[in-house]
Amino acid sequence: MASYRTPLGRARGLGAAKHGVGAWIAERVTAVALVPLVLWAVFAGLRLAATDYYGAVEWLTSSALNPVLMGLFVIVGFMHMHAGLRVVIEDYIEKHLTRAGLLLLNLFACSLIGALAVFSILKVALGGAY
Amino acid sequence: MVQLALPKNSRVQKGKHHAAPASATKVKTFKIYRYDPEGTENPRWDTYDVDLEACGPMVLDVLIHIKNDIDPTLAFRRSCREGVCGSCAMNIGGRNTLACTHGHAEVPGKDCQISPLPHMPVIKDLIPDMSMFYAQYASIEPWLHTTTPEPQTEWRQSPEDREKLDGLYECILCACCSTSCPSYWWNGDKYLGPAALLHAYRWLIDSRDEATGDRLDELEDPFKLYRCHTIMNCAQVCPKGLNPAKAIGEIKKMLVDRVV
Amino acid sequence: MANYQFIDHKFDVVVVGAGGSGLRAALGCAQAGLKTACISKVFPTRSHTVAAQGGISASLGNMGEDDWRWHMYDTVKGSDWLGDQDAIEYLCRNAPAAVYELEHWGVPFSRTSEGKIYQRAFGGMTKNFGEAPIQRTCAAADRTGHAMLHTMYGQSLAHDTEFFIEYFALDLIMDEGVCRGVTAWKLDDGTLHRFQAQQVILATGGYGRAYFSATSAHTCTGDGGGMALRAGLPLQDMEFVQFHPTGIYGAGCLITEGARGEGGYLTNSEGERFMERYAPSVKDLAPRDMVSRAMTIEIREGRGVGPKKDHIFLHLDHLDPKMLAERLPGISESAKIFAGVDVTKEPIPVLPTVHYNMGGIPTNFYSEVVTRLGDDPDKVVPGLMAVGEAACVSVHGANRLGSNSLIDLVVFGRSAALRCADTIKAGATQPELKPAMTDGHLARFDKFRNASGGTTTASLRLEMQKAMQEDAAVFRTTDSLASGVERLAAVHAKRPDLKVSDRGMIWNTDLLETLEFDNLVGQAITTVAGAFNRTESRGAHAHEDFPDRNDETWMKHTLTWFDDATGKVAIDYRPVHSYTLTNDIAYIPPKARVY
Repeated sequence: MASYRTPLGRARGLGAAKHGVGAWIAERVTAVALVPLVLWAVFAGLRLAATDYYGAVEWLTSSALNPVLMGLFVIVGFMHMHAGLRVVIEDYIEKHLTRAGLLLLNLFACSLIGALAVFSILKVALGGAY
Repeated sequence: MVQLALPKNSRVQKGKHHAAPASATKVKTFKIYRYDPEGTENPRWDTYDVDLEACGPMVLDVLIHIKNDIDPTLAFRRSCREGVCGSCAMNIGGRNTLACTHGHAEVPGKDCQISPLPHMPVIKDLIPDMSMFYAQYASIEPWLHTTTPEPQTEWRQSPEDREKLDGLYECILCACCSTSCPSYWWNGDKYLGPAALLHAYRWLIDSRDEATGDRLDELEDPFKLYRCHTIMNCAQVCPKGLNPAKAIGEIKKMLVDRVV
Repeated sequence: MANYQFIDHKFDVVVVGAGGSGLRAALGCAQAGLKTACISKVFPTRSHTVAAQGGISASLGNMGEDDWRWHMYDTVKGSDWLGDQDAIEYLCRNAPAAVYELEHWGVPFSRTSEGKIYQRAFGGMTKNFGEAPIQRTCAAADRTGHAMLHTMYGQSLAHDTEFFIEYFALDLIMDEGVCRGVTAWKLDDGTLHRFQAQQVILATGGYGRAYFSATSAHTCTGDGGGMALRAGLPLQDMEFVQFHPTGIYGAGCLITEGARGEGGYLTNSEGERFMERYAPSVKDLAPRDMVSRAMTIEIREGRGVGPKKDHIFLHLDHLDPKMLAERLPGISESAKIFAGVDVTKEPIPVLPTVHYNMGGIPTNFYSEVVTRLGDDPDKVVPGLMAVGEAACVSVHGANRLGSNSLIDLVVFGRSAALRCADTIKAGATQPELKPAMTDGHLARFDKFRNASGGTTTASLRLEMQKAMQEDAAVFRTTDSLASGVERLAAVHAKRPDLKVSDRGMIWNTDLLETLEFDNLVGQAITTVAGAFNRTESRGAHAHEDFPDRNDETWMKHTLTWFDDATGKVAIDYRPVHSYTLTNDIAYIPPKARVY
């Protein structure tokens, strides 16, 4: 099908969304925040690998810092992942419906898994569940 | 616009071979994309064995030699032949550049493949349809916006402020950068591309311009601007040695400065 | 003949060409509320104005005192008194306003420490009526034409100019001596178009490609001049072809005169700064015709450089590299690419190279095309204007000063637009076009499209270019010019034997180059005919058998008509205007031209 729209009309398209800088900043901020958080997580992971289940629960409940940092790691990590996957989908998926579907899936999946992870951390940290 | 395979009617077939004259001493083979919009055939690769002694040092010299002495039907754009008009941008040996300033000796290998700028609709042979590229340039309003009444003489501008335009105003709109950018390949209908954004920054940073805010408003968009993923192909291929990626980075910085 | 159909357009004004003058004219017409079309065979920013480097002259006085009268004196003297002084006054008076206008549109001029437009020295530009060099040429580094063209294209996007890009103009639609429009071929879909207008403005540039080696772009094929000749109009002063002293040896690419304006100088094989001998007061900043002659004499007398002793060195290696990077970055790059030279360390090999056509379509200072009809040497051709290098106003006379062409573009582009605004009523009814007016255009188009002789366009074009290069060079003699006339007649005679291999209508560049060649041929022939006819030396026309200027006989413009069918040239003359525009300055009488 030939399009008779003028090139300028096509170039202007729907106009500027007048947002985007927020998302751009969020990508960078989460990336920066993840640098210490990932270091901490690696350090914690190594430490936990040397211990058993009870040791791990003990470690998580022993101080406020560990569950908080672990919660932050999960939240920021999923936010960053969501933003990154979103760019990939926007870049490569042209079909409107598929794109919308995948964007929703990305949002829901990241939120769901993230929320489950945060809930689990809270449950252990507050309830001290064995 | 991800499309990994070419549509059936665009698949390139083997074309004609033009052998060099027997007297030729230094021969190089040029494999050139040919497409005749008035015919019914698919595009093809024609090969030309060219006697390099018979032509000048640049790829454009080779193309002109082919057109003059071997095959007058070969179509390509050219004008200034000194790298300032931007007409003869094409893909030479896998790299977007200007045929007039690119020496054929610079192309590695025995053969040299020449095709139109990538991911552009081809009109004929090496001539792509640039109308969308030009429209994107027009869409950034490439002229000085002022509201203050014009002075009797010139707007004053300090040499330091003028220096900020260096590396920007020299752009010749050849489209080498935009058509080398994967992001522009996939989303060329919505992403403005490096060339248009470089020009956008040229006006944003001009100390005489009074519409900086409006210009930024028109650029702040997940697609128009933020499809730039700093892949840097633009800076690598620019035949004028400009750095559009840096200009885009500066625009992003200006947008941050506005909110932070 | 194939059945060609025209697509019709109706405008108040149609501008042919989108270089500096075409864009300025189109912009002015659009601003005046006229429905304006601008058709161009290349995208506007690819027009040859883009290659102008050094700058645009105007007596702004940013670098010290200046006066438009001094500028006028220099231009008159530069023209070897062949320029029309009313037009030159118009140019120099309006130059500063034109430059400020460009600046207001956004041209990124280089700046002085006070934030004003930077001006540099250029050949033949002096203060106080010839006393010493002056800095009058406004510059945007060494990319002034590029900066201007891109800015003007941007401005025309801001206004209501309608562009028809990659349309190749075929012929003028003439109706009993009145121009009614122009026909054109749209390259990207192969359709033919008929543009009707109350006024057609030709802004098609020069015909540098009539020569083998030129600084001009491949597209500088003087299409407007060719169309004018076919419409039965004369061209003026075609014998005056400017050789730029500093084209890169071999490649022919331009090295701006601004290089000498910033302190560069020329040397011969003995390392001597020979210009001191030829022009003691201004030295390397003498006008281009004088420098080109001096270089040619040096080479001829065995003082050329290089293994064949056939070129000259341009030195910039004594200048501060920081200054070179700031003010001459473009030519530093060109020298690197095309001569393999690092300008901070080595001299650039250069040679006088064809650069500019002083001659063209005769106009008055309103930019209206004029012709000679009986006793009236200033008969206006209704409906037709010409501007820029395509035109001969004549402000450049026998030799143009560097940086006077860019100002010519904008001042006369503007004057054309102002004249249109004064004389045209927007939307006025226009007479119906009759097929008879365009049948010839189609016949010519079809003839070349189906040309099936035995001579390729490229080979015949080369024959023409070689003849021009050898016989109408910096120095001419009666013998060389007679040979030129003969050789070009031979080229013309072979034209019916042309062969075009591509029969298509879409982007048929084989046919396009043939049509361009056809435009060039008439202008090449009128050039040598005019040169053969002018038995004196003046400005760029250096006739060795007649080495002196002869004001008594030759203080007049040559008009040349060309009969396309027979190749014959008819010659007549127009007087040089011996008056100025106003009483602010008196006529500058001719005197010896020494610097």
